[in-house]
Amino acid sequence: MTPARASASMNRGYRAMMLPASIAVGIFAIAPLAGMFALSLTNYNLIRGWSGEIGIANFLRLLDDHRFIASVYIMAALSGFGVLAQVVLGTAVAVGLDKIVSRWKAARGIFVIPFAVPHVAVALIWLSLFTPTLSPINAFFDMFGITVPAMLTTQSGAIAAIVIADTWATYPFVMLIVLAALQGISPDLDEAAALDGASRVKTFFLITLPLLYPTLLMVALFRFIETLKHFPLIFVMTNGGPGRATQATNYYAYVQTFQNSNVGYGASIAVVLFVFAAIVSFYIARFNARYSNA
Amino acid sequence: MRDSTASYRVKRGLGIAMMLAFLLFALLPVIWVIILALRPAQQLFEPIWRSPLALTLDNIYSITRSDFPKALVNSFITAGCSTALALILGVPGAFSLSKRKAANKFLASWLLLLLRMAPPVGFVIPLFLIYIKTGMIDTYAGLIFAYTSLTLPFVVWSMWSSFNQIPDELVEAGLMDGASMWNVLLKVAIPAARPGLVAAAVLSFLLAWNDFFFALIITRADTMTAPVAVMNFVSYASVDWGAIAVASIALTLPVVPIIIIANKYIVQSLGGAVKG
Repeated sequence: MTPARASASMNRGYRAMMLPASIAVGIFAIAPLAGMFALSLTNYNLIRGWSGEIGIANFLRLLDDHRFIASVYIMAALSGFGVLAQVVLGTAVAVGLDKIVSRWKAARGIFVIPFAVPHVAVALIWLSLFTPTLSPINAFFDMFGITVPAMLTTQSGAIAAIVIADTWATYPFVMLIVLAALQGISPDLDEAAALDGASRVKTFFLITLPLLYPTLLMVALFRFIETLKHFPLIFVMTNGGPGRATQATNYYAYVQTFQNSNVGYGASIAVVLFVFAAIVSFYIARFNARYSNA
Repeated sequence: MRDSTASYRVKRGLGIAMMLAFLLFALLPVIWVIILALRPAQQLFEPIWRSPLALTLDNIYSITRSDFPKALVNSFITAGCSTALALILGVPGAFSLSKRKAANKFLASWLLLLLRMAPPVGFVIPLFLIYIKTGMIDTYAGLIFAYTSLTLPFVVWSMWSSFNQIPDELVEAGLMDGASMWNVLLKVAIPAARPGLVAAAVLSFLLAWNDFFFALIITRADTMTAPVAVMNFVSYASVDWGAIAVASIALTLPVVPIIIIANKYIVQSLGGAVKG
């Protein structure tokens, strides 16, 4: 066989291998998403049914829906504080495991355990810890006459509670990634800095941290895009409350679709979230392509 | 060494104290849920230190008589089938993406990431309507298909990165010897990528195992999965904390060994997927 014919038949083979996955992705993933876009242009309601095409009216309605605008702020607070806490804590633990207690091999396994707990269980565990009558935290402080506030009854408290639960469950993910990156950094750099008389703290901030930037950016983007999807934590811990204080955008889409039966309007909220996720994914994919080719 | 000074020892002590604090933060909620699982109902609302020895297996016993074990089985069936489906469909596709010379790989990587990252609420709205029309609400098939929208992009993405680590020459040598492409995949590429394959399988299983949202919307009593069934212990009248704690542990136990063994693959599945 000539090389050209060989490569033509190879191409056919590779295309045949791509086919099942392409068809399946089309059916399982692209088709529902197309359905979401189509529904977002209607005012389909589970109870009232269809009343014709309405074009982009749903999207115009979103612009002055104060509940939607509020949901975006709530999402921003949950994602912003959450990602910040997870990245800082995850990095701190990774650096600690790498530099301070590198002999604690088993500790790494223990730190990873919270990451294994399914989200519903995470939400229930932290709900119990934030329930004043039940919580050992409250009981402990009661001994000293200190009353711990019931966090889930105020907006900022409830948002903090969700951020804490999410951070507990997912900082191990950041830790694993950062630890892997740290172990890829040559120890020679640390030694050279030490010989030059730099303190360990200075070495970390001036040498190690800059080398970690690509990893930290990547992991922060990953966590960010995941925090947009908060559902079990909100559903279980606060049910969107108190009032609507923790109704982040994803949860608001659920409320509109499945509680208020406004399928079309709910779909338009989902479209907005999807477009946002697409933009963030684009940056991750581009970053990943560059980073792994370097 | 300049590091042997007293101030170094103080700093190191502080560092170790900080690590112990982090360790406590990671562990105390786990210990708490184990205690909660073993607390008798009468002592539930009094501080643990007042009656530390009041322990019982009643909660475990009562869970085994509820619907929860059936929900665990449902979770195993749906997560397992969806993983098998995703592997069968996705592995050849990932091989093709990794070894084929021409193809818009960036676009494929973006699409796969996006499908993995997109909010499930978008997938579930049309699925819900179609399932209602076709009677697929509360069926295994319906839930397995829904999970495949999560697991398939994940399997393709992570196997793509595993196949990238096999040298192209190995594949080309197989083809030169006259083996068909499918044979090369089965006999050369998959064995060489076996650790990656195992990791993709278990992590994809976990993706479905952890799901709450799809199951909440498209299952009812028959195929309800464990994460949704736990919520049955939370009712308006009362919250059965003992049962919730036992159920949460049951939900977590299968995952712990997997996560500890697979933690290095978690790193792999995030980065370094796409390499020309």
